Amino acid sequence: MESEEIKIGVYVCHCGINIGSTVDVEQVRDSVSELPNVSISRDFKYMCSDPGQALIRKDIEERGLNRVVVAACSPRMHEPTFRKTIQQAGLNPYCVEIANIREQCSWVHEDKADATDKAVKLVCSAVAKASLLEPLEEKEVEIAPRALVIGAGIAGIQASLDIADAGFQVYLVEREPSIGGHMAQLDKTFPTLDCSACIMTPKMVEVERHPNIELLTYSKVIEVGGYIGNFNVKVKKKPRYINMDRCTGCGLCAEACRLKGRITSEFDVGMGKRSASYIPFPYAVPSKYTIDAEHCLFLTKGKCGKSPACKDACTADAVEFEQKEEIVELDIGTIVVATGFDLFDATEKPEYGYGLYDNVLSGLEFERLVSSSGPTQGKIAIGGKDPKDVVFVQCVGSRDKSVGNEYCSRVCCMYTAKQAYLIHEKLPDARLTIFYIDIRAFGKGFEEFYDRVREEGVRYIRGNVSEIIKKGDRLLVMAEDTLLGEPIDVEADLVVLATGIVPRADVRELMNLLKISQSPDGFLLEAHPKLRPVDTASDGIYIAGCCQGPKDIPDTVAQAKGAASSAMTKMSQGKVKVEAIIASVDPFICRGCGRCVEACEYGAPELQEAEPGILVSEVNDSLCKGCGACAVACPCRAISMKHFKNEQIFSQIEAVI
Amino acid sequence: MSLEEIIKDTKAYYCLGCGVCTSSCPVARVIPSFSPRLLVEKALFGFGDEIISDKDLWSCLICGRCASRCPSGVDYLNFVREMRMEALSKGKEGLLAHDGILNTIMELQSLNLKQDRNFWITDDLEVADAGEYFYFVGCLPYFDLVFGEGGLCDVGIRSIERARNTVRILNKIGIKPVVSNNERCCGHDLLWNGDLEGFKRLAELNLKTIKESGAKKVICVCPEGYVTLKRDYPRFLGEQDIEVIQLCQILADELREGKLKFLENASVDYKKVTFHDPCSLGRIAEIYEEPREIISSIPGIELVEMERNRVDAVCCGTSGWVNCSGCSKKIQTERLKEAEETGADALITACPKCEIHLNCAKYNADLKIRIKDITDLVAESLA
Amino acid sequence: MNKGFEPNIVGFACNWCSYAGADLAGTSRIKYPPNIKIIRVMCTGRVTPAFILKSFQNGADGVLVAGCHPGDCHYIAGNLKCEKIMDVVKRLVGILGIGKERLRLEWVSASEGGRFADVVTEFTEQVRELGPLSGKSQG
Ligand SMILES: Cc1cc2nc3c(=O)[nH]c(=O)nc-3n(C[C@H](O)[C@H](O)[C@H](O)COP(=O)(O)OP(=O)(O)OC[C@H]3O[C@@H](n4cnc5c(N)ncnc54)[C@H](O)[C@@H]3O)c2cc1C
Ligand code: SF4
Ligand code: SF4
Ligand code: SF4
Ligand code: SF4
Ligand code: FES
Repeated sequence: MESEEIKIGVYVCHCGINIGSTVDVEQVRDSVSELPNVSISRDFKYMCSDPGQALIRKDIEERGLNRVVVAACSPRMHEPTFRKTIQQAGLNPYCVEIANIREQCSWVHEDKADATDKAVKLVCSAVAKASLLEPLEEKEVEIAPRALVIGAGIAGIQASLDIADAGFQVYLVEREPSIGGHMAQLDKTFPTLDCSACIMTPKMVEVERHPNIELLTYSKVIEVGGYIGNFNVKVKKKPRYINMDRCTGCGLCAEACRLKGRITSEFDVGMGKRSASYIPFPYAVPSKYTIDAEHCLFLTKGKCGKSPACKDACTADAVEFEQKEEIVELDIGTIVVATGFDLFDATEKPEYGYGLYDNVLSGLEFERLVSSSGPTQGKIAIGGKDPKDVVFVQCVGSRDKSVGNEYCSRVCCMYTAKQAYLIHEKLPDARLTIFYIDIRAFGKGFEEFYDRVREEGVRYIRGNVSEIIKKGDRLLVMAEDTLLGEPIDVEADLVVLATGIVPRADVRELMNLLKISQSPDGFLLEAHPKLRPVDTASDGIYIAGCCQGPKDIPDTVAQAKGAASSAMTKMSQGKVKVEAIIASVDPFICRGCGRCVEACEYGAPELQEAEPGILVSEVNDSLCKGCGACAVACPCRAISMKHFKNEQIFSQIEAVI
Repeated sequence: MSLEEIIKDTKAYYCLGCGVCTSSCPVARVIPSFSPRLLVEKALFGFGDEIISDKDLWSCLICGRCASRCPSGVDYLNFVREMRMEALSKGKEGLLAHDGILNTIMELQSLNLKQDRNFWITDDLEVADAGEYFYFVGCLPYFDLVFGEGGLCDVGIRSIERARNTVRILNKIGIKPVVSNNERCCGHDLLWNGDLEGFKRLAELNLKTIKESGAKKVICVCPEGYVTLKRDYPRFLGEQDIEVIQLCQILADELREGKLKFLENASVDYKKVTFHDPCSLGRIAEIYEEPREIISSIPGIELVEMERNRVDAVCCGTSGWVNCSGCSKKIQTERLKEAEETGADALITACPKCEIHLNCAKYNADLKIRIKDITDLVAESLA
Repeated sequence: MNKGFEPNIVGFACNWCSYAGADLAGTSRIKYPPNIKIIRVMCTGRVTPAFILKSFQNGADGVLVAGCHPGDCHYIAGNLKCEKIMDVVKRLVGILGIGKERLRLEWVSASEGGRFADVVTEFTEQVRELGPLSGKSQG
């Protein structure tokens, strides 16, 4: 408080000869001893050593110092050390200021007089700031032992299982009627060729049965408030029009549906048909039917024959047209985002004829075609005939600035190799050609798998396909063989495009909801590309799987486990320390203009109605990261940025010049 | 100055303790603990230290509502100014809005720097280096960078258009004014924030510049600049051989003489307007009728009055860029609502600062009324 | 002034990139002129225009603001906010007669110790060329 007399101890370190050889330490010590508020100034060989720290503690105890200035190495080096030192002596850890006279003085200057002069100014500046330093409070908030996982592809499934196994409650929100994501659509998986369903189904079932997992399918997160430890989440459950408890998954309703075989199946990416009452795929979890309100005759027209056929057919009396959407509110400690990816829409490259010619397929369509659970039960036939020539085109929508995707989708080289192999297994006589720019076989077992595919006689041609046109009832694929340096045309009965992985179309909506950001490629942004790959800029929110960037299943699973472990670590700590260096608003000065709200990247300040019609900003301690942008934006100085207050910095400016 | 001297200088000893000042004060209406009466009484009881450590010393708007009604003629404004001088000498100052940049900009102008403040003069404007009339532009170039579009605190105004429009109007009535790159801030805010020395430095530089141009008449548009040059320069630097005129006075004269003509149906954008008296133009300089005459003679405009007008008008809520706060916002919001209640579609003001502060209050608020400066309005309506 | 003019330069460096870059110049023992004195801020987004103007008012001949490269700001976009503000402040110091050339905004990452030293050396020379700001520093 104002009445407290400030007593500063200044400690100038020699750092052996690291400082002492270029800076006259004694002179620095003496020139600051008379500054206002300085009650003692000393020098010492190594301030960070035990005796050095003991010296400070002793002075605090004996001389009643309440602020400390250490002139030594960079604060990035030993600020934490000295904070602890003074804390041990009973001072608030934020009452120490470091003058960096090593990295930013003795090590970069040669002339001793100049360096000493500068060191004195740096210490003056530190003393000036120390005189105005204020004790700061380090607060803690409790973390609710409940996690929200958004998206139930393999990433979300794995993260949920790990967190639930560790004993925390998990709410797994999936917007489709079934969990599984893209992996459920795949046939076999590279490089080991395990059947996707075989390795995935047990995990899906485990999710459903796990006592710590509450599955919210056909649901969407619509609101996220609060902060780490205490997120308030609202989830909207869409009506399925089928009673989940009664439905036995028998499928009589779908059989009876008047629209049977007339609605395009999303799961089969347009290759198959379904009823209005449907289950996306046979081993869906939950194994319950859903009536699609967009198509159902009764729900769209109010009438389905004399009475709805499904309702009549259901022996369990599970059809409930009166169901309404439901909002579930959750108190959540940590959040894992695992919303996956969208497939590149190949119509964006019209030169490939996708969408125009039936025998040009996307990578995912081919997965459904070749899958034994797919619309053709795995039979590959084009116009009723086995294809003789199949061409694969790599890098469709990846590494392609013309469609705005500069990045590599990382899975297409390998899934193309896999798909070629799968055709070869089924149709050994088919001639298979793959056009590629580079082969990226970087993963474990990838190069070996690539070799194996080539050994089976698949022809790899280096060159990007420029155009695909119709030639009779076949296709003509045109490219340049860049290794031979000559144009090449290949005729084909079937062309498979290795369509890439793109960010979810609604990624912005999610970003706004969670206040997280995206990287230039459009995928969700991690807190640090190398060291914090599963964290986001918002504490307590983690990302896993293809929402963060293209990756294969092993990497997805690894990242999911990483995100789960980060979430678990926080939840098992039970509490988090809140940043002490944060912004705070003086409610009487605040004009309620909201400029701070606009400036903050973390949604920390919020306008509250203090009295009718009077808005006042309040900074949420747990969200504020202490960047200071709001303080700069505030027109009337209602915000003070703790530890970097205007007065403190002004005093440094005055002292340093 | 000692407390006794301040009391003597401002006739504070005449205070009857009646409280008319406090009940007239717009700040006291929002901050109940703020009381001009108590401040004066504290001084009379010798509690000078208490006054200078009170941060509310800096909340006074220097609007003069209290002084204009004080039955004993206590010079409350100078009382506050002198108390602030004392406070400043003890290292205490108010909370400067915008982190103090506007105040620092003023202070920096007293250094010997060669400004580049005339960037706004376009080819169509006729200005001179020497001549009879000196147009005192004031802080408009700086305001534009701070509060103009893309500025540091964008409140959606174009202050610099004011300068251009002023020259256009003056050219129209046959005046080719001197506009000097050496002009400085008039010093108003430094003076009223208690920095007499800083004020004097600026004033001296300005007087030198004006004299060097040979001008005998100084035209001010900003009311604060006007009262500062007219009243405070002589007071603190001695009588000067220059005549200081406010633009509205010239315009009203020209109108009366029929020399100023407006377009038929000049105003399409504004049909019904109300006039907000800036404190310095109104209560301090007592120029109430000229702006009203000017506005009313623009064809197509109807002038209506707010409940509180002329000597009773209420301040735009902030002064000297000090202690701007939620209190200021309330005063501003209330004033704008008062203007809206007249049914006017614009509030006309004659002070660049009123324009800034009132527009600032509109930021993210649900206030529809437009704010327009009288000079811009005149320039746009001229035949 | 007998001895050549030695400019007074104030630097504002963000904790995460440029301050660390300056530290790296130190650890790598790269030499640069001693005229600059750095004040640490968490982010360049904290650098309010008043810091710059106050520095000049107090006698600085030059001010350097250094932060993370675009995209690298620890607080997402503090550096970009700063850049926007500095554009205006440059115009402001221009019309005040201080001169835009005395104010610099640079991006220096934590790994660019050499670049930090280069920037400081070059800026110091530039300000030396410009001569003293006829403010307080002249005495
Ligand atoms: C054609 C093709 C073949 C492939 N073949 C292989 C292979 O052989 N081997 C291999 O290792 N990898 C392969 N991959 C890659 C593999 O598909 C991915 O690594 C994996 O599916 C990524 O899983 P995910 O959980 O991150 O995303 P996804 O599988 O996309 O799952 C995301 C889930 O989140 C849900 N969701 C999205 N947004 C929301 C929201 N807002 N709210 C609630 N839920 C939401 C979705 O409905 C979905 O269920 C292939 C990819 C493609 C395109
Ligand atoms: S300091 Fe930064 S993080 Fe904190 S409220 Fe202000 S802008 Fe937001
Ligand atoms: S920017 Fe300042 S005045 Fe505006 S709402 Fe935020 S704290 Fe209040
Ligand atoms: S001058 Fe205005 S704001 Fe100041 S005390 Fe008087 S009435 Fe109140
Ligand atoms: S009212 Fe005026 S001083 Fe206050 S914040 Fe707005 S522009 Fe700045
Ligand atoms: S943290 Fe370096 S500029 Fe923001």
